[in-house]
Amino acid sequence: MIVRTTTKRQTLALGKKLAQRLRGGEALYLSGDLGDGKTTFVKGLAAGLNIRTSMTSPTFVIFKPYPVRHHKAITTFVHADLYRLAKATAIADTGLTEYFGQPNVVTVIEWADRLPLPIRPTWPIWRINLRTGKNPNHRTITITGLPRKRK
Amino acid sequence: MKKNDAMFILGIESSCDETAAGVLEVSRGKFTVRSNIVHSQLAIHRRTGGVVPEVAARAHVEWIIPVITKALQQAGTTLNKIDRIAITRGPGLVTSLLVGVETARTLALAKNIPLVGTNHLFGHMVVNQLPPNRPLTARGFPALCLVVSGGHTELILLRSWQRWQKLGATLDDAAGECFDKTAKLASLSYPGGPAIAKLAIDGNPAAITFPRPMLNKPGYNFSFSGLKTAVRYHLRDHGIPNGKAMNDLCASIQQTIIDVLVGKTIRAAKRYNVKTILLGGGVSANRALREQLAAAVTALPQTNFIAPNLNYCTDNSMLAAVAGYYTPVRANGWRGVRVDPNLSL
Repeated sequence: MIVRTTTKRQTLALGKKLAQRLRGGEALYLSGDLGDGKTTFVKGLAAGLNIRTSMTSPTFVIFKPYPVRHHKAITTFVHADLYRLAKATAIADTGLTEYFGQPNVVTVIEWADRLPLPIRPTWPIWRINLRTGKNPNHRTITITGLPRKRK
Repeated sequence: MKKNDAMFILGIESSCDETAAGVLEVSRGKFTVRSNIVHSQLAIHRRTGGVVPEVAARAHVEWIIPVITKALQQAGTTLNKIDRIAITRGPGLVTSLLVGVETARTLALAKNIPLVGTNHLFGHMVVNQLPPNRPLTARGFPALCLVVSGGHTELILLRSWQRWQKLGATLDDAAGECFDKTAKLASLSYPGGPAIAKLAIDGNPAAITFPRPMLNKPGYNFSFSGLKTAVRYHLRDHGIPNGKAMNDLCASIQQTIIDVLVGKTIRAAKRYNVKTILLGGGVSANRALREQLAAAVTALPQTNFIAPNLNYCTDNSMLAAVAGYYTPVRANGWRGVRVDPNLSL
């Protein structure tokens, strides 16, 4: 799926809409450069899961877990950012990998290209790439791995 | 020699990339730093362009005991003479925090020393009480504290050292993070704050007008991710500059961040009629920020300005020690001190 957005509000709305398709246990791998709107997209996802806490950059602490209330399957939303991980080694030491594959957790990872990937992960993965066009407000958002819409 | 009425606090801090321990003496309300040992992994991080968390966590394990031993030796004391251990229990990297907290709990249990868990941010709020500054008296309150670091940008109103209220915080990136990320965009070295500040000295802060996010909005929240984006597009359109143009770019970025920080702080100070403005956090080492905030405070005749001694701006053991002095010891001792990576104010 490829979506083009022209405002921050549209990027937020896209995240909010896609959150409705989350079932728990997914890992969302985000890629894109500094300022491409990754955090904005994540804020949209969080809004879609009714997370009211204001979300700030997890760059410094690597990941921030947020409780999800009133969702039948998801209890925790983890916002991670691997920007400061210069080398993709032993990320397990940060404790982040413990969330992977938990059926009640959704993990969203910015700069996921720095993540050493298992060959056959047992959890569903959505890959989301954000790219900015010539106009700084225009984003091309490419999403793969989405489940089919429920009828 | 330790005087009879003096209290010795062993402060331990391992919330991010520094492993630190030190001894603070408190005698009749007067602080004396007996030792302050910091093992920093900055050299490793310079090579890799950022803090490497898993390297940080492993290095904490390796360094924490030697650092504590050296802190006690340099203070001319032993664990038997320590009256209180203060340990930073959050916020920070969970794996790094655990090393410090578990070490402190073990020492407290083995030597039967009261243990107090402290908030890293509160440490940045109170470390400016150390010499050459004089501790605030009751007349210094209400006070307003601006905490600016790589992970935080917060404005806190203090009625006393025990009673405070957060007025605002960043909605996205922290000010220090903005320095680091814009520096990276401009291909400067890590850490970005000092790199930008150094080049900014010979630059024109009005050369480039970047947007001042949130400055004219009501409330006391901050936002810095828009500045990062603005710098990115400036560099895309104009290329990474050399020589004087690079100085101008750095001075303009720094001035944008300072304008927002100073603008919001002064507005809050007027609104709440504060007696003191306190500065804290790693970015408080930025000379232009200190000077411009001090200058802005002179326009408020009832208000004093206190910035921390440069030795205590970045993460160090005194953050835990001074915070540990102002934080009451809980009855359940070491058992009640737990890591909380999301600890807020």
